[in-house]
Amino acid sequence: MANVIEMLEKILADTKKVGGVEASVIASRDGLLMASNIPSSSARAETFAAMSATMLGAAETATTELGKGIPDRVIVESEHGKLIATGAGPKALLVVLTDPNAGLGLILVELEKAAEKIKKIV
Amino acid sequence: MIETGITKLDDYLMGGIPNGKSLVYYIHPGVEGNVFGMQTLYHNLAEGSKCVFIASSSDPLMIKDTFKEFGWNLDAHKENLIVVDAYSGLVGATSNEKYVVEDPESIDSLNGTIEKVMEELDESSTIMFESLSTIMDLCGEKETIDAIKNWNMHGMLYEHVLIYNFTAWPYEPETLDLIKHELFDAVITVGGIAERVIFGQYFGVLKAEWSDIELKSMLFRVLRPGGIRIYIPKIVVTGPYNAGKSTFVHALSTRAVSVDRIGTTVALDHGHVDHKGFSADIFGTPGQERFDPIIKMLSGEAMGIFLVVDSTNTKDFVRAKQMLEITKAYGLPLVVIANKQDQSGALKPEDIRSHFNIPESVQILPAVADKGVGVFEAFEALVDKITEVA
Repeated sequence: MANVIEMLEKILADTKKVGGVEASVIASRDGLLMASNIPSSSARAETFAAMSATMLGAAETATTELGKGIPDRVIVESEHGKLIATGAGPKALLVVLTDPNAGLGLILVELEKAAEKIKKIV
Repeated sequence: MIETGITKLDDYLMGGIPNGKSLVYYIHPGVEGNVFGMQTLYHNLAEGSKCVFIASSSDPLMIKDTFKEFGWNLDAHKENLIVVDAYSGLVGATSNEKYVVEDPESIDSLNGTIEKVMEELDESSTIMFESLSTIMDLCGEKETIDAIKNWNMHGMLYEHVLIYNFTAWPYEPETLDLIKHELFDAVITVGGIAERVIFGQYFGVLKAEWSDIELKSMLFRVLRPGGIRIYIPKIVVTGPYNAGKSTFVHALSTRAVSVDRIGTTVALDHGHVDHKGFSADIFGTPGQERFDPIIKMLSGEAMGIFLVVDSTNTKDFVRAKQMLEITKAYGLPLVVIANKQDQSGALKPEDIRSHFNIPESVQILPAVADKGVGVFEAFEALVDKITEVA
């Protein structure tokens, strides 16, 4: 079954090729790390995964409470970069970090493709 | 008897490996498994016993560096370590070792040297084969199988313990079957796992002739330095508002982050613990009812639960019980933390048990989380339950 992990890692490596993407993580909806592609070892991927799952989960709860359905993604913008978290099927979610000047258009398209693939694997 | 030096594995083996027995680490390709044999070897060196390292796939001059990655200093135990050089012959280098296999591609040459070492050792020793699969690749499967029988027989006669690292490349099915079931007294499988959403590496006891303990797989991680740690990907810390959950997570963790606003957790505390051979990630939930949807979401796939209660506040015990339901804690290993034991009016753990109707099977431990009192005792109690030997 180790090849599931390899497949997820390939998807992350492909995502990384999109201009501006610095790091990416696949996590379970309940915050466990499944696969990561993070260049510096200083960041703890486990914490990143747990917090992203909390964020997306909180956003989903907030919007459904208001009767607005499930959001497609959560985008966080800061001076130093952007963070995009999106669901990838019922069990997983995909999160990427980009540099501040990255164009969102192409990244969002690629993320959606990647999320589709993850949904089929997990 | 020698110990493997790997947390929990010695419990499964009822103490370790008896003299004269053989054990193979049966490693699935792609898994960090070779460290198992290395950790067993180093553990026994550090215990002061004599060890032999049969170097088949790395240069004897480089072995030191490989061990150093894990923080293990071979130089400190030089007088007890014998390296059998079954590598230099392959690359045509000269060797500084006392025991050298002239032609590592010939099973007879290997056999001769290994027999000689076993006979010349003046005490029961630990003999570790760096890579049985390399020997198989060089000398052939059938030839190696016959040699293993011979080595194990020798080990039995001279009361040595034989440890093998074996990577299960796609050899003949009969070969793999023999290795898994026939040739060795004990087989420890080391593999990868992708079960539901738990991704990682595990080890388990496939067979141990002298132990009747049931097999249970353990997730593990390899730290550099540090070696093998039993890994627990999720322990949930829950409990009512203001019970001290975040304080508990921070007291326990070597590193922790919290999302808190005006003094209360609104999303999650996340911490990492590395303690006595265990490595665990800790998820602390908020306590207030308005965050229940998040608690529900975050507590999936937990392997164990800490329920933190304020021992001075009996009113909150109802909410505490309710939180066990929200986190679907029933059936999971659970330890109750009777926090704030230093405050006046704090109920003793046993009083909490009767107030709260907690079954005797659940441990209730006293703690003062903001002073770090009792937190590691509680951690040890919970990981004991999670990894309980059946």
